[in-house]
Amino acid sequence: MSRSFLLPLLLLAPLRPAAAQSAAPAALDTLSLALVAPPAPATAPEPAETAAPAGLTAQPWYRPHHLLLQTAAGQGLITAGVGYTTLRGRVDIDVLAGYVPSRYSITPMGIFTGKAGYSPWTLPVAQGRWQVRPFTVGALVSHTASQGLNNSRDGKYEKGYYWWSSRTRIGGFVGGKVSRVIGRTRYGHPRTLGAYYELGTNDLYLSSIFTNLGGLGVHEILTLGFGVKFDL
Amino acid sequence: MPQLSSLYRTLLRGRAGLLAGAALLLGGLLTGCDLIEFSPNETRPPEAYRDLTRKNLERLLQQPNPTGGDTVRFVFIGDSQRFYEEAEAFTQSVNQQRNIAFVAIAGDISDFGLIREMRWVHDRLKKLNVPYLTVIGNHDVVANGREAYQQVYGALNYSFEYGHTRFVFVNTNGREYGFNGRVPDVPWVQQALAAPGPGVHRQVVMSHVPPHDADFDPQLVGPYVQALSTAPRVAFELNGHKHDFSIGQPYENGLTFINSYSFEKRQYVVLTLWGEKQFKLDTVQY
Repeated sequence: MSRSFLLPLLLLAPLRPAAAQSAAPAALDTLSLALVAPPAPATAPEPAETAAPAGLTAQPWYRPHHLLLQTAAGQGLITAGVGYTTLRGRVDIDVLAGYVPSRYSITPMGIFTGKAGYSPWTLPVAQGRWQVRPFTVGALVSHTASQGLNNSRDGKYEKGYYWWSSRTRIGGFVGGKVSRVIGRTRYGHPRTLGAYYELGTNDLYLSSIFTNLGGLGVHEILTLGFGVKFDL
Repeated sequence: MPQLSSLYRTLLRGRAGLLAGAALLLGGLLTGCDLIEFSPNETRPPEAYRDLTRKNLERLLQQPNPTGGDTVRFVFIGDSQRFYEEAEAFTQSVNQQRNIAFVAIAGDISDFGLIREMRWVHDRLKKLNVPYLTVIGNHDVVANGREAYQQVYGALNYSFEYGHTRFVFVNTNGREYGFNGRVPDVPWVQQALAAPGPGVHRQVVMSHVPPHDADFDPQLVGPYVQALSTAPRVAFELNGHKHDFSIGQPYENGLTFINSYSFEKRQYVVLTLWGEKQFKLDTVQY
């Protein structure tokens, strides 16, 4: 577990001095607006290489686009992760490692989560100094590692004794994010630091409510989490 | 790293740092709120959902026996797992019964061993006019369920005396422990049933998995049944797990086993005991 927390620090290391960024601030401003709004009329044509669309094509695949720090939402008391933004800034794909101490468990839990969120709108606020993502919908899958956690599928049981896995959860969520734009990334996109929330549930809670329609309230199966996301 | 340090200054100057701080603060404040969950497998409930066995026993022992005299009467049901609508209806029905001392639930409070399920069940059963007492079921031992059950309810093996009756509740979910030869804890059962005082007219054992079930540790069936049949004045054993009512004497020693309806059957049994092994069963539909 402790090693996975160092991972985000390693990813910070390759950041280079800001020389390349300050070279053409005016042109990059236009690009940053293009991320969040329809392209402006072609008053100032841009060089072809800076007009590449935001997303995976713009930078090496192995370099994450953002770091995350999160709490709750069933993904850990303290959770850190990295992620990618693609499809013109509309889809975030994140991988996270969360930690739950033994105070809340038989033995400490490590929760490893992969999630994808779709945010159809990113609205610029205050001349582009802020960005608001009013709505995100997403799905996630998580695996819980914990020595003391009693397996629902192992040698103790015949196949199918319990239909669910006690370690793997599938979930869904809606959420939102408010970000402050802080300069530009090395690729000329606006760099943001944002706070987000996630309101979600998981497969076992859904299975509980769908077999008890009217007997269990929607508010009873919801979980909430908060996090910050920082663009690299 | 000049870029990082300038970024840090920008952070401090701007409102973004405040934003991040506010989000974490808000997260911290909401930790007391039901929505905040570090994992579905977390095991710490808020105070209102903690130590329910102790709280229910304190309540029970304070109330005078409603039937008085030698008789004790209680409601017997099991397997509340994932039957929330039924739990609501059950509560309303039991609240109309008279002279009930308590409700006994023969395990499988939850289906997935999740603390939230135990809380959902308690949210409905806390409306009962009488205390309710539980024993752990195999589903309550899945994942972190054992600790969740211990936090929400309490001990896995416990006993109490009420209405001239000693009740002994035992964890018999041997399969969940890989049939390790220690569940049920036979020496504990022997001790719990030993030497009942003159005020104890009869003893009742309740566990989730009955010994004549494939989920009971095979190497302990003999010692366990032996412990029950050699103990003084054991009226019968109550079980759940099979989700339907049955009564029988599967062993030659004549020990009676009564299995409970599950919540989904929308029926429960009112058990009235008197004398050494006299009892009456009334089935109630709800």
